[in-house]
Amino acid sequence: MIEFQSVSKKYPSGQTALDGISLKIESGEFVFIVGLSGAGKSTMIKMLTRELSPSSGKVLFNNEDINAFKKSRIPLLRRRIGTVFQDFKLLLTRTVFENVAVPLEVLSKSEAEIEKEVSSALEKVGILDKANSFPSQLAGGEVQRTAIARAIISKPEVILADEPTGDLDPKNSLSVVGLLEKINKEDKTTIIMATHNSQIVNHFKKRVVVLEKGKMVKDQKEGRYEAG
Amino acid sequence: MKQAKDTLKQIRRSPYQAIAAALAMSLTFFVASLFIILIFGGQLVLLYLEQRPQAIAFFSDETKESRILEIAKEIEATGLSKEIKYVSKEEAYEIYRERFKDDPLLLESVTADFLPAHLEVSAQKVDDIKILTEGFRQREEVESIVAPEDVVGKLANVTRTVRTAGLIFVSVLIAISFLIIIMVVGMRIALRRDEISIMNLVGATKWYIARPFFIEGALYGIIGASIATFLVYSLLLFYSPQIQNFLGPIQIFPISPLFFLYLWLAQVFAAITVGVLGAAIALYRYLRVK
Repeated sequence: MIEFQSVSKKYPSGQTALDGISLKIESGEFVFIVGLSGAGKSTMIKMLTRELSPSSGKVLFNNEDINAFKKSRIPLLRRRIGTVFQDFKLLLTRTVFENVAVPLEVLSKSEAEIEKEVSSALEKVGILDKANSFPSQLAGGEVQRTAIARAIISKPEVILADEPTGDLDPKNSLSVVGLLEKINKEDKTTIIMATHNSQIVNHFKKRVVVLEKGKMVKDQKEGRYEAG
Repeated sequence: MKQAKDTLKQIRRSPYQAIAAALAMSLTFFVASLFIILIFGGQLVLLYLEQRPQAIAFFSDETKESRILEIAKEIEATGLSKEIKYVSKEEAYEIYRERFKDDPLLLESVTADFLPAHLEVSAQKVDDIKILTEGFRQREEVESIVAPEDVVGKLANVTRTVRTAGLIFVSVLIAISFLIIIMVVGMRIALRRDEISIMNLVGATKWYIARPFFIEGALYGIIGASIATFLVYSLLLFYSPQIQNFLGPIQIFPISPLFFLYLWLAQVFAAITVGVLGAAIALYRYLRVK
């Protein structure tokens, strides 16, 4: 489903973010991409949504080179991928309901459809009662759940989660990743999660891809990660 | 529909920029309307004057009627005249009597013999009047000529000047409106930068992101042009007796409501173009540097 073919990324500053990454992820997999800060995890995630392009190599999505897409096709690609961003990117002036509704508005769905689907997504992530709250009124974990609800609302084939547990305590972290695991199992959605939280990685026993200074140093099924 | 609602919500959130943009548009198109009406009115006055006899040649008493009619035919043959009217001494006297019927002193002192027979000529074009009067001057039968060619010529010049000045003035105002729209829409884009960025990442097309800003630009145009047309219509309605009084026999009022409908439609079209183009430039700048 997703394939990195000898992908390298060098920023104009001269810093190498990725160095010859080759990786294949099948449909329905749950993959942790781990490594210290600056290892290249976010760069990999951003290449899948074509926020970034590789300096060399290819990134394939369903056997198609993402970088060969015309600009007009990029929105269509992004609709097939749900993303939970590192900083969540929630709109502070919109309620939880309105935030989750954004991808459906973009698809020009009717108000009735939006009402039904947003309620269903909020119920799935367990924050239906917070529908009318603003992000600033949410407790720890609820912001992440809102971001996950927005990522799953358009029923994507893949969910990319970039450090979704960064600011959470261990209990909420487990709960949020548990939610992603549930989505992976129930909807067969492919999950790619970037994290440096070894506790989480070791708890869930999923495929682990370890990056160090832009190079892939380990790719293991039911792997472990020892940070540092 | 949803996006139009969102646009209105955005406008309500920061109404002052919206008011500034709509007022700038109103001012621009109000001034444009005034110039259009001034030019249109000027054309009507010119048309009126052109239809009036523009050169009157008075013949000496010795000139026979048959000779005057011969001269009239010669002038007609040049193709420069639109209409030639022969007025005999008697007819001239009748006109004189009619004009001064309330002044017996003037009526008593003049008989038909005092008034010369004459030819009243109107030209095809304003520029032809000069040629016609020149032609009359060369004829020994012609005693004197009255040719208001200068009045018509000057009025034509004034109309041309008004048109040019109007074009320049309205162009400057359009440029100002344009810049205000770019500024206002640019500010809105800046305010919604996060939202736009998120929309981009969840798969919104550029057109979906741009549409509310185009709607906003067009809305300023529609509001501005409508206010301008309404103001001009009200002003003309209010001052029509005074204007008509000033113009005397030149009938301009009542102006057909259709004229105002066309004026409004043309202005709305022009204003939407300005609004949408302004929004497009603001969007181009933002989307290009995203």
